[in-house]
Amino acid sequence: MSGDQATGKVLGRAMRVAPALRRGLRLTLLMAMAGQAITVVTPIVIQQLIDDEILAPSGIDMSGVLTKAGLALLALAIGVVVGRAAVLRLIRSSSTGLSDLRTMTFRHLLRRSVLYVEADRRGDLVSRVTSDVTTLQEFMEWGGVGMVIAGSQVLLALVVMFFYEWRLALVAVVGVIGYLLLMRWFQRVLARNYDSVRTEVGRSLGILSESISAIPVVRAYGIEKGTTTKVADALEKRFWIEFRTARFGNILFSSAEVFAGALTAAIVVGGIVIGTTQGMSAGTLVAFLFLTNLLIEPLQIVVETLEFAQSAASGLRRILGVLDTEVEMSEPADPDHLRPGGLSALFHEVGFAYSTGGEVLRDVTVDIPVGARVAVVGETGSGKTTFAKLLVRLLDPSRGTVSIGGVNARRIPLQELRDRVAFVPQEGFLFDDTVGANVRYGRPEASDAEIWTAFHELGLGDWVEGLPQGLDTRVGERGGNLSSGERQLVALVRAWIGSPDLLVLDEATSAVDPVLDVALRQAMERLTEGRTSVTIAHRLATAEGSDEVLVFADGRLVERGRHRDLLARGGVYADLYTDWAAGTKTV
Amino acid sequence: MYSEQMTPWSVLRDGIRLIVRFVKGHPAAFWLAVSGAAVFAGAIIASAWVIGWVTDTLIIPVLDEGVDPEGLILPAAGLILAVAVVKAAGIVLRRTSAGWLQFRTRQDVRNALLAHQLSLRMSWFNRQAVGDLLAVADSDVDQGTGVLAPLPYATGVTLLLVGTTVMIMAIDVWLGVGAIIGLLVVLVIDVRGSWITYGLWEEVQVARGQVSAVAHESFDGALTVKALGREDHVSERFGGVSDEVRDRLIKVNSTWASYQAVIRALPQVMIICLLVVGASRVGAGAVSPGDLVTVAYLLSLLAFPVQLIGFVLWDLAGSLAGWRRVQDVLDADEFMTYGAVQAREARDAAPLDGETVGFSYDETGPVLDELELHLKAGTTLAVVGATASGKSTLSLLLARLWDPDAGRIELDGTDLRSFSPSELPKEVSYVAQHAFLFDDTVAGNITLGEEFTDAEVRTAARLAGAEGFISELPDGFDTELGERGTTLSGGQRQRIALARALIRKPRLLVLDDATSAVDPSVEAEILRRLKGAALPSTIVVVAYRPASIRLADEVVFVDERRVVAHGKHEALLETTPGYARLVQAYEEDAKRLAGEAT
Repeated sequence: MSGDQATGKVLGRAMRVAPALRRGLRLTLLMAMAGQAITVVTPIVIQQLIDDEILAPSGIDMSGVLTKAGLALLALAIGVVVGRAAVLRLIRSSSTGLSDLRTMTFRHLLRRSVLYVEADRRGDLVSRVTSDVTTLQEFMEWGGVGMVIAGSQVLLALVVMFFYEWRLALVAVVGVIGYLLLMRWFQRVLARNYDSVRTEVGRSLGILSESISAIPVVRAYGIEKGTTTKVADALEKRFWIEFRTARFGNILFSSAEVFAGALTAAIVVGGIVIGTTQGMSAGTLVAFLFLTNLLIEPLQIVVETLEFAQSAASGLRRILGVLDTEVEMSEPADPDHLRPGGLSALFHEVGFAYSTGGEVLRDVTVDIPVGARVAVVGETGSGKTTFAKLLVRLLDPSRGTVSIGGVNARRIPLQELRDRVAFVPQEGFLFDDTVGANVRYGRPEASDAEIWTAFHELGLGDWVEGLPQGLDTRVGERGGNLSSGERQLVALVRAWIGSPDLLVLDEATSAVDPVLDVALRQAMERLTEGRTSVTIAHRLATAEGSDEVLVFADGRLVERGRHRDLLARGGVYADLYTDWAAGTKTV
Repeated sequence: MYSEQMTPWSVLRDGIRLIVRFVKGHPAAFWLAVSGAAVFAGAIIASAWVIGWVTDTLIIPVLDEGVDPEGLILPAAGLILAVAVVKAAGIVLRRTSAGWLQFRTRQDVRNALLAHQLSLRMSWFNRQAVGDLLAVADSDVDQGTGVLAPLPYATGVTLLLVGTTVMIMAIDVWLGVGAIIGLLVVLVIDVRGSWITYGLWEEVQVARGQVSAVAHESFDGALTVKALGREDHVSERFGGVSDEVRDRLIKVNSTWASYQAVIRALPQVMIICLLVVGASRVGAGAVSPGDLVTVAYLLSLLAFPVQLIGFVLWDLAGSLAGWRRVQDVLDADEFMTYGAVQAREARDAAPLDGETVGFSYDETGPVLDELELHLKAGTTLAVVGATASGKSTLSLLLARLWDPDAGRIELDGTDLRSFSPSELPKEVSYVAQHAFLFDDTVAGNITLGEEFTDAEVRTAARLAGAEGFISELPDGFDTELGERGTTLSGGQRQRIALARALIRKPRLLVLDDATSAVDPSVEAEILRRLKGAALPSTIVVVAYRPASIRLADEVVFVDERRVVAHGKHEALLETTPGYARLVQAYEEDAKRLAGEAT
């Protein structure tokens, strides 16, 4: 039962994190209990009618019958009103508390480091704020409410039993405990079976999904037959394991019906024995049979909900786990501010290693003066993207310091830094909104005219005018209505419109066609006069036009200088350039 | 088949139609389940009768009149237990048969879905989001067949309701009339409550979908959000949709709770009313006390199942919603059409002809128009064009992943549409930019389950420039790649996909930017090797990099939806300014920079 204790503990923590969950909880539970009193009304009325009217020596007195029925109906009405109010309270507090918890979790996740959010666990992150919370919600609103109601019903039925005849009530208590233990045992046995069902379901779905995703390949290679056979085999295997497990579960759980019958029989036998020896009225024993009936269904609900509670608790544990981890990048305790104007950057003996130990950048010392146009080159995995992320403080160095405009980057308030330093990543991510709204992510207060100007400055006026609804054109989910090159254009304008003093581009135009790419770079060179720009370059043409080239290899800054000088030196850069040039020369 | 606007009646009508359709597939399982449900209902009615009998023959005589219980106790206990055993058997029969029916139906539907999708044109496939198709095959099938699980139970409860009324009628007409009225009232309120809650619940699902969409988008774009310092804005947006879910949940659950409160109390009200009527009938000597206990006991046993019957409407409505999405896929009728031509046994390069080819994806206008393309057997052709000029489309048409709207494409004089199913792929291999790898070994991904020797696999991999990195994998060619081959880099995946095409020695090989993620020098090396290998293939390459273009025998320049120039690379540089501008952009820029620098 230690699992259940841990479950209780984790629920307690959730209530502290999201106080709306426990607001007025005690009163709610009391009210729920009172509302449940309606279920024991019938057995009591039956006992009263049998003993005091039907079996009364004086015969049936209809006015007495009506009075009792009237009182019973009144009790029912009160129970309905109070019970309903209790459930409404429970629903309101759990919905509010869980929505708060969800938003809190989301905010926390989004503040985590890019390394954490970027790693291949986006699906996981989404489940933290969707399915985990939904499971909790369903548990609270169906399972939780059901459990409170069912629990109160069992409790009340037992209380009434003890009130009538404690010895017979003990028989019922033994039955209830036995039943609970039996069901728990069944469930544990079944849980093991369900694990293998889940595995097989997952496997068959994996094969089916793969086959559907691969339809173009299947068609291109004419392997329809093999594909359908593979899927059919997996589905057949899944059928048998699902069916066998369900059959086993049915046999286990229906045996509970036999148990319930045995309990009823035991009450009859026990009642007759106690009645003949200790004295008990016929009406009381009949009432006991009705009360016994009230025990079984709720016990089933309680047991099912316990299982539900554990899956809800494991979701909750994952959510609390998120909230327990520190955000890697916090606001500075002693902030320092940037001076207006162009920004320089300085790396002093900077190193960066993943928490898993892989060192991706070592001992980098470099200064980038105000207004410089710097190109960063290197092979995949050389550390150039990490360099860019350190430069814009999307990451903090493991060793050494990064300074922007002469101020240690860790001491600049994050919002101030983001306003002055722009970073354009490769993927050109767009939100499912209009072109204009996407650009406004870079500067919320920008007017339409300013956005137009920004497009025109970069020589993209024709492009935006060619869109069906201009700035109001919707880009679709993840910008799917635009080509990948077009998405990069919007992302570039989005950074551009904030007039950053330091602009860092990470292969930001990799999907733009060559003619446009060259035109864009020429426009930016013209306009970045006085501003500092750092470009991670995939096309070495960028490096040719820069003031300085930084060459990375194996996590180190291995060469730096102007294009011509580096080429003449015949080192890493010269090799990279030769390779690239071989690919672009037309004759 | 199914009406758009759901009403309780349409749900009932369409639901029954859907059930009939499923039942026709596995009638035996269905009727076994219904029999189980009948046994179950009969056992419940019997248990109430037994309790009444126990009251009249044991409890009242012994406890009220002092009769000796000897000889009565054992039959009473035995009867109660026996009824419970029968009830349990009914439950097992009902649930197990229903499980068979449901699981088998799901299996059938999933197999049918895949087979159907494989018979449709790519034009259909392309209009669908793959994620949606996967959801149809997974959760929508589950949801669509969901109605089969509670169906036997609902049948059981219906039988129970009928049986109860008959039984009470038999005991006493007045009590019977009262029971019918009471049960009808409960049913009407229950069904109405379920229906209203269902509508509200749909709204919750919509709101939950929004939460999920915002979460997905935000985490996918996390780098951008952070780079722009817009975490607060995005969090507020998320809080907004989350609170929308909260409000709708409160609404639906409050409505549900109110109906539940009434529905839970109504059977009790009914019992009390019948007890009043019954007491007067006992007084009149019309019924025995045991009969009265039977009636009350039966109604109290009904209280719980009756609460659930309204949910059958939920299950029906939910099933119909899920099934509609399944049906949409199964109803798609853009089938591929095939001829009867078989692939040739001989392995030699095939000539290729495209005549007045026209194609458009949708109403936005043609992508290709009056395109002419004629290639001699064994030629290596580079297709060059600006972004969105239609060169990828052309390559899809050449492999018959799509069919042209106008004109025809012929391989060795045979229209591609005349080949019989699965025959054309023996002649043509197509490699896309996005390499799709299966959850299989490296070798399995190259052979795709066909018979090839290890030597052939190795040769194809070498030709594709993949042998080097494959031999460095833990188990070489037997390395399991895992889902979608995520452990490999883009360039590595592309090279495996290329080997997959090469091993088939196609008469026509179509490469659509198939080496875009491979390093330029490696790409040039691969293309050089392909030329040197004397493949029995005509090769069409959609290419960006000038180095790749240079290696081709001929070049076509695609612009304005058609081939505007066809010839040698050097000749096109001279004669076609658009072509020169496109392939020389970087060179020109480099020259300009060099000029500035001096």
